[in-house]
Amino acid sequence: FTASLLLGTTLTISSNHWIMAWAGLEINTLAILPMISKSHHPRAIEAATKYFLTQATASALLLFSSMINAWQTGQWDITQLTNPTSCLILTSAIAMKLGLVPFHFWFPEVLQGTPLTTGLLLSTLMKFPPITLLYMTSPSLNPTVLTSMAILSTALGGWMGLNQTQIRKILAFSSISHLGWMTIIISYNPKLTLLNFYLYALMTTATFLTLHSTKASKLSTLMTTWTKTPTLNAALLLTLLSLAGLPPLTGFLPKWLIIQELTKQDMA
Amino acid sequence: MAVAVVLLSGAPFHGGCCRHKVFLSLLGPLLSNSKLYSSYRRPGAEPKKKLSWQNADFSFKKSIDHLKTQLSLLTKETQDYLQGPGGHPLSQHVLEQTRVLWQFRSQEDLNKWVISSDVEIGGKSKVYIKLGRNNQAALLYGTLNTEVPRDGETKYSGYCSMRSRPAVGSFNRKKYYDWSNFNSLYLRVRGDGRPWMVNIYTDPYFSHQKDDLYSYFMFTRGGPYWEEIKIPFSKFFFSSRGRVQDNQHPVWLDKASFLTLGLTIGDKVDGPFQLEIDFIGLLNDRAHREEFAYETYDKN
Repeated sequence: FTASLLLGTTLTISSNHWIMAWAGLEINTLAILPMISKSHHPRAIEAATKYFLTQATASALLLFSSMINAWQTGQWDITQLTNPTSCLILTSAIAMKLGLVPFHFWFPEVLQGTPLTTGLLLSTLMKFPPITLLYMTSPSLNPTVLTSMAILSTALGGWMGLNQTQIRKILAFSSISHLGWMTIIISYNPKLTLLNFYLYALMTTATFLTLHSTKASKLSTLMTTWTKTPTLNAALLLTLLSLAGLPPLTGFLPKWLIIQELTKQDMA
Repeated sequence: MAVAVVLLSGAPFHGGCCRHKVFLSLLGPLLSNSKLYSSYRRPGAEPKKKLSWQNADFSFKKSIDHLKTQLSLLTKETQDYLQGPGGHPLSQHVLEQTRVLWQFRSQEDLNKWVISSDVEIGGKSKVYIKLGRNNQAALLYGTLNTEVPRDGETKYSGYCSMRSRPAVGSFNRKKYYDWSNFNSLYLRVRGDGRPWMVNIYTDPYFSHQKDDLYSYFMFTRGGPYWEEIKIPFSKFFFSSRGRVQDNQHPVWLDKASFLTLGLTIGDKVDGPFQLEIDFIGLLNDRAHREEFAYETYDKN
């Protein structure tokens, strides 16, 4: 399944044709489903079902958008997405794939139902192909729609993560918030989006792997890890502060650059 | 088709002749208001007189009052959200080891529970609930009757149960609590020696899991003294539609919303029963290290 995930991701990020990109996304969706439902617990099955329904809808919308563009312009090139309706449908499809507000409701529930390692893949590897598509089509997309979704994602990701007691849900809302930061700058400086994504993937990987090694899935368990692995706990503290964007840690860098770029664009 | 039905239903008013009578007898099932499936009603089921939309109350004043109640609930929920998880500070959530969920001190506490018995399927068991002496406990009592209703379908009978109403927030939305800090159910009861079954229903999202239930047994002593029974959540076994499943897994308590707890008596013994319940709560028993009591099959 991991090989299929890598195949799907590689297929999407290296494709120029919409059908190849869509095929890569479908391979990714189908490959991750057995990994989500591996434990056969009803909650895992529920998570897999919710994931499948949302991702299948998003894939269908993506294909629909590319077909409308192909019908209007006569070509299937990803970078040549010119039809406004296509752009709007594609934006909603990518938002659904990524978990941007208002299509974010599935993400915390799905992450809560999965084991930590699969959750890591959902938060990092599965986000890579849609962000690549967003990067390639960013000049054609409507900045207003993207900015609105980004601001809502950042705000709601922060507020809804406040009173959570399950760590996987907290990380899901953190992911939604970071995706908001990535989306807001994509129309003005797409390279900052990629920088933000790479750093976010690095920090999230560190967080998930630490939690996996300490087997902490809820806050009360996390509170007692300092007695078992004090060094790892200290490292986790720094990683979480970095995720939060605290200077002088790494996570502050993308936020600083994004705000600087937005200021240049008279938006911040 | 609809026009034909309307015309033919008006035929009796015209005092039709033999042709109409034969025609009407053939179209009788269509003309009557019966459903296409079987209209057999179980003896215990109430006859459906009104459709659900006909019970709607269109009073403007009542709807304004209802809206005010719901808005005040929403305000309280927002204030609780600002305080912390479940309306309590985070420190309380992390440090607490016991929590009382239901205690029976007033009629309002009794109203949070629903009692039922096999009368629903045509049986003859009786169950009642009331506040005990000095309003210090709930008294669940009645008579169990295992006589099977003679309807040709039912094979077993004789059960009485008490289930909690699911918690709802403002605008009838589901309320979510996190019980994952606790690993045992704690009940202070005084029974009559009869065994009870404790059932947990975790309201699943999809309909094909709606028959899933987690159960375990509670054996009461019957003496004059109160009992404090601890049932670890690791002991609850999984069943679906009343059948214990081969593929067992522990109950997840992180989304304890709509989680209804039920106490059922169905020990196939005719006669009276009685159970006094002081309170039902949760406990984090540090000495209990078991994760799950039953074997799980590893697939692949």
